[in-house]
Amino acid sequence: MSTALTDIGLMEGVTEAMNGAAVERVSLGEPEWLRERRIHAWDVYERTPMPSTKLEEWRYTDLKKKLDLDSLRLPETEAAPDDPAAWPARLRATMEEDHEASGHIVLVDGHVVHADLIPELAEKGVILTSLHQAADEHAELVREHLATEAVPAEEGKFAALNAALWTDGIFLHVPKGVKLDLPVRVTRSYTESGAAYFSRVLIVAEANSQVSYVDEVISDDFDEQTFASTAVEVIALDDSQVQYVALQRLGRRGFYQSVQRTLARRNSRLDTLNVAMGGSVTRVDLSARLLGPGASSDMLGLYFGDEDQHFDFNTSQDHEVPNTASDLLYKGALDGKSRAVFRGIIRVHAGAQQTDAYQTNRNILLSHGARADSLPNLEIEADDVKCSHGATVGQLDEEAKFYLMSRGLEEVQAERLVVTGFLGEVLAKLPLGGVVEKVNRVIEQKLSQHS
Amino acid sequence: MPQNETIQDLNLDEYKYDFVTKSEPKFRAEKGLSEDVVRQISQHKDEPQWMLDFRLKALEVYESKPMPKWGGDLDGLEGVLDEIYFYVRPQDQMERSWDDVPDEIKDTFEKLGIPEAERKILAGVGAQYESEMVYHSLRKEWEDAGVIFDSIEDGLKNHPELFREYFGTVIPTGDNKFSAMNSAVWSGGSFVYIPKDVSLDTPLQAYFRVNQERMGQFERTLIIVDEGAQAHYIEGCTAPVYSTESFHSGVIEIIVKKNARFRYTTIQNWSNNMYNLVTQRAIVEEGGHMEWLDGNLGSKLTMKYPSCYLMGPHAHGEILSIAYSGDGQHQDTGGKVIHAAPYTTSSIVSKSISKGHGRSTYRGLCKVYEGAHHSRSNVECDALLIDETSRTDTYPYIEIEEDDASIGHEASVSKIGEEQLFYLMSRGISEVEAMAMIVRGFIEPIAKELPLEYAVELNRLIELEMEGSVG
Repeated sequence: MSTALTDIGLMEGVTEAMNGAAVERVSLGEPEWLRERRIHAWDVYERTPMPSTKLEEWRYTDLKKKLDLDSLRLPETEAAPDDPAAWPARLRATMEEDHEASGHIVLVDGHVVHADLIPELAEKGVILTSLHQAADEHAELVREHLATEAVPAEEGKFAALNAALWTDGIFLHVPKGVKLDLPVRVTRSYTESGAAYFSRVLIVAEANSQVSYVDEVISDDFDEQTFASTAVEVIALDDSQVQYVALQRLGRRGFYQSVQRTLARRNSRLDTLNVAMGGSVTRVDLSARLLGPGASSDMLGLYFGDEDQHFDFNTSQDHEVPNTASDLLYKGALDGKSRAVFRGIIRVHAGAQQTDAYQTNRNILLSHGARADSLPNLEIEADDVKCSHGATVGQLDEEAKFYLMSRGLEEVQAERLVVTGFLGEVLAKLPLGGVVEKVNRVIEQKLSQHS
Repeated sequence: MPQNETIQDLNLDEYKYDFVTKSEPKFRAEKGLSEDVVRQISQHKDEPQWMLDFRLKALEVYESKPMPKWGGDLDGLEGVLDEIYFYVRPQDQMERSWDDVPDEIKDTFEKLGIPEAERKILAGVGAQYESEMVYHSLRKEWEDAGVIFDSIEDGLKNHPELFREYFGTVIPTGDNKFSAMNSAVWSGGSFVYIPKDVSLDTPLQAYFRVNQERMGQFERTLIIVDEGAQAHYIEGCTAPVYSTESFHSGVIEIIVKKNARFRYTTIQNWSNNMYNLVTQRAIVEEGGHMEWLDGNLGSKLTMKYPSCYLMGPHAHGEILSIAYSGDGQHQDTGGKVIHAAPYTTSSIVSKSISKGHGRSTYRGLCKVYEGAHHSRSNVECDALLIDETSRTDTYPYIEIEEDDASIGHEASVSKIGEEQLFYLMSRGISEVEAMAMIVRGFIEPIAKELPLEYAVELNRLIELEMEGSVG
């Protein structure tokens, strides 16, 4: 008896647009090692079943209902010119809000159309460039780190799909001892409704270096489901300090899917902030690995849902050696019929003594139809550790509201202030210039629609 | 003499229930699970047709369900299930006078201290040996008040309507693979009915003993606490240590009616080669109050998550869970609370201790359905790790569909503090004693809820286990 591959869940997700031929097309003109890597990734993709709600990690996000892969096309838009006048209005407006930066990258519809870097940083050897270009010009570095140790294709269905089909991305390399005072700012704009975008970020911070990176994705509302996939690899070598910030402000019918992994080596500090405001579906898989003694990671998250928005954060904190620390704080407000899922796990591996690991997820439900699911997990295999986690789901702090109202504030004002304060705790922990203001503005907008 | 030497001299694996009584069963079904075995059980119990049908249907459901992939490691279980006896009948009939219980069996329970306990404080006692209840008694005053405390078989025989109205309604056959298995081969357990507004001031107690090697015990308990009534039920479980693995899978269904209060206490101290997979659930109606007090000390693997379904306004559910996992043990325990009505409240407090290569897992669910406004729930899990090889996991599920609810979960993991130890030892207390004191303090919030003799037992056990942890 022969069983068709599709019957056993294989070959799932092979579509008219996304198939082996598409992989060949995107690899045209690329170095052979990269082409092989894509073909390998595609092979993994075909062999990996589509995640179903039977998997713990996907229990609350039913892709059968949330994602229509068959309807997605690969983007057809040509690269836009490096000329702000030709860019979408929303992209121009977003860029204007930005504060000073060490450098910028602008992507329009998956293509890097602009890259700049302060000249003295370039002189010190900092590389900030399109990943495509880097694969040619810095082949050795890219080859070593791209989809190898951080987010290999084997990581899962979407990691494999991304590794096979990515069109472009960002490569940031900070040499030993170089410290960037201002953040690197990346802005992505998507315009093609019904498209599936795949891009990657690779950040390598050498020993004793320091860098902040802010990646903002924006779009107008789409007419059809539009898929924006990113794979993010952040590697912090000994004694380095890295901040990674992702700011998601897609329009409705956007499906934001991001696989992020951070590798923190000895005495490094690698902090992340994920802000999710837009899109119809957000799925973030963030995995922090603490690989060297003295390494630490703060993991921050902030989300505000309204209408039928769906957020799903799946995080892990892996303490693999002694004397590492991680602290996670994800907070969200949910209005309308929106829904948030937080599933996080702290793993203290055997022998990883003197671990400090914390995990907190707090939700407030602002409306009757909103829903929050929280699964903060612990797996502890060492005894000399400090670990705790907490999760809460509740309403607005009535006492705080009452207090503000007793001071003469209108009910609406008081509510806004309480929500802003609740979410503000997250931003206060990583107060990067520009980010806080932008996020606060979106929160204000969302709150003004709350009745 | 250095302290370490004293410690090595101690017998660390002492398990005081490790004795075997030589008693010949009256009947033993063939090994393994089959339709024949199910029919034999039903025939031996002289059951009505509907119950045989119920069992056979359950067997089908059991066979159609895959082995769970979550929780503990069940890989070795299928081999065990092929080798065990699903039904062993120790005597012909259940006794109501202790004197009539066969000497070998009586001897067992005497060793476990049951008659003594009964004389002291209990409202009623039931004892299950292998597959059958061998003894059931209830104080006259409670019998006169209309309280029913019977073996489950007698419940079916003597109160067929009440029985059939509730049996299998709280935990449907298909709830999980092991509830299906139990539904097919159940034998023994208690049937309890507390009439309206009757308050039992002392507990009912059931004792479960597996004596034979390669034995599977599948007790089934159904408890109905009528409106405004109050009661407390305690079960204890032990078995001798055999070289082969045994299996215990109970189903406990409880209905707590309007404004009734009920507490169910389990102190499970099975031998360390027992698979203990139990489904326990209570439906709590308006204003009702349900408490599960769950102590898991023995067994090789326990998977057990007592649940409260809060179905009426102002219903309250409480789960106090304590687990101890020594070498080779995995306690995968916790609790579930389902808020399906407004103004319902619940709390789960879980404490676990892992020692040696032991593993303690908390797995729990707190679910608030839309419409269950003004619900409040709080979950607290604390894990204590004694050795660097011990392991603890926490897997809470929090599912909230109602905005007007307040739900909190907190968990922490710690080891015995060097400072605490140092302080106690500086007062002249030995290291072993100091550790035991700290552990006792850790479990105190739960131990104090136990009836005295169980609290003493628990403390003794902790002391015994701590003796091996220094050095």
